[in-house]
Amino acid sequence: MALRQWMVTHEWMVKPTAQTEWIERRGILVWIAEVFTSLGAGLYLVSLYFNNWWGMLAGYLIIMCLKLPPHLIYFGKPLRFWRTLIPFTDSWKTSWFTRGINFTVYFGTIVFIQLVVGYIAINVYPGTVWETWDIVLRVPGGILGFLVGIYSGFIMSYCRSVPFWNTAMLPLILIIAGVTDGLALMLAIGLVDTSVDISAVEFVSRILLIVNIIFIAAYVWNATYISKTAKYSAMLLLKGKLAPVFWIGVITCGIISPLVISVSSYFSGDASSPLLITAIGFHTVGAIALKYILLKAGIHNPILPVKTSAYY
Amino acid sequence: MRWGMVVDLGKCMRCHGCVAACRVEHFLPLGITWPRLIAWEKPAEELTTFPVRCNHCQDAPCVKVCITGATQQREDGIVWVDQDKCVGCRYCIIACPYQNRTFLSKDKDTGYFPGYELTEFEKAGKRSYPHTVGTTEKCNFCMERIDDGISKGLKPGVDRDATPACVNACPSRALTFGDLDDPESEVRRLIYSYMGFQLHPEYDTDPSTYYIDKGRKGV
Repeated sequence: MALRQWMVTHEWMVKPTAQTEWIERRGILVWIAEVFTSLGAGLYLVSLYFNNWWGMLAGYLIIMCLKLPPHLIYFGKPLRFWRTLIPFTDSWKTSWFTRGINFTVYFGTIVFIQLVVGYIAINVYPGTVWETWDIVLRVPGGILGFLVGIYSGFIMSYCRSVPFWNTAMLPLILIIAGVTDGLALMLAIGLVDTSVDISAVEFVSRILLIVNIIFIAAYVWNATYISKTAKYSAMLLLKGKLAPVFWIGVITCGIISPLVISVSSYFSGDASSPLLITAIGFHTVGAIALKYILLKAGIHNPILPVKTSAYY
Repeated sequence: MRWGMVVDLGKCMRCHGCVAACRVEHFLPLGITWPRLIAWEKPAEELTTFPVRCNHCQDAPCVKVCITGATQQREDGIVWVDQDKCVGCRYCIIACPYQNRTFLSKDKDTGYFPGYELTEFEKAGKRSYPHTVGTTEKCNFCMERIDDGISKGLKPGVDRDATPACVNACPSRALTFGDLDDPESEVRRLIYSYMGFQLHPEYDTDPSTYYIDKGRKGV
């Protein structure tokens, strides 16, 4: 009894414990960076596919101006950022974070050159060797855009300490969600740029929204039997404190609403601008909500080796 | 050579001596604790505690994920953080299955008496064992003591001046330190005699901290 007078009981790592470093307090910056990673890389890849220079520029600016700065500001020692770059470190051999930062820096360099060359090829010297160089530079640009879009999935899936993340499905979910986000932003560009084929973007978007919902459903279902802690995370999404964000933000706003609008425009023949803007808005809310619930549902296994089930 | 520790759960009397000794040895800021005693209550049972610290895993996830190489592993198995290299990304904190790393933020280094001048103890700490705000910290098995002791011909785990401060401070001798690779060492004897176990062996991290409970003697 005397012991209880001065020793405080607490649930830290006795019960499943949520990671807070990447979502609470300054960790909100990581969440913001993840959202813009998805939007930027997705938009760049979609713009490459639809050959839209303005989309590529917007994707590039999102990555370099809205994704990279929050990541750097989040660091405890941002001015030591250079230590993460090759050749100043060889951590890229094992660390997905190092790889990701380097992918982003290379993306920033290569795509900048590609955008300049592309602009000259379109507006200054059309039909010349500049076009060839533009196409050549799009290959590494596209590869790096893909890597920038997927690396955060690998960062998270590498963590065996967080069973909900520790699955190969996570990188796939993030890249597919990113491309779907990119399609939504492409629609937004299409509202002002008449060269964008709205119906083609909507067609791809319909398919990817369906793929997205299948992947998310499989991911959450899979989590229910990986381990007790992963199931705990999944239950937080399905009927726990994250359920409103999951069901309203991710599923309803992010997937169902854009899908319904897209399908209705398919049957009605053409989508009106207000309807498109609504779909884009809903989808962006979904993108923000998806990153939030993924980071927030990152739960560590309890530290104790035995009888942990007793604490669930 | 691989330094390791054995914690006897049956002997630990929850005195927090190891926590205090570590705080003094490393001049830890108020918000930082390297070894910890986690405590909880179960219905109809008395309060239970479990001492934890960095496990100095042989296959340490924190070393692999570190984005600058600030977290390193020495040949003797000790995992340590070079605070001059750490950028404070906190990936290691997320990746550690044992959650034995702490990010030193400004609010964890406010001084023992916030708003007042630093005590002489704190001033001495700032000079002799500076902690860098914005970086990650963890137990380093008192590697300075070990290195200094070995250079003087002492044996870690046997001679106090070459042994981690928490082991020296433990009044019930619940902590034992030594070379896990030495078949004659006390830590090896305890692990084999009392069925020593590691936390979460399923992660394949091979921790260098073992736990025993002399109440359940094995072979």
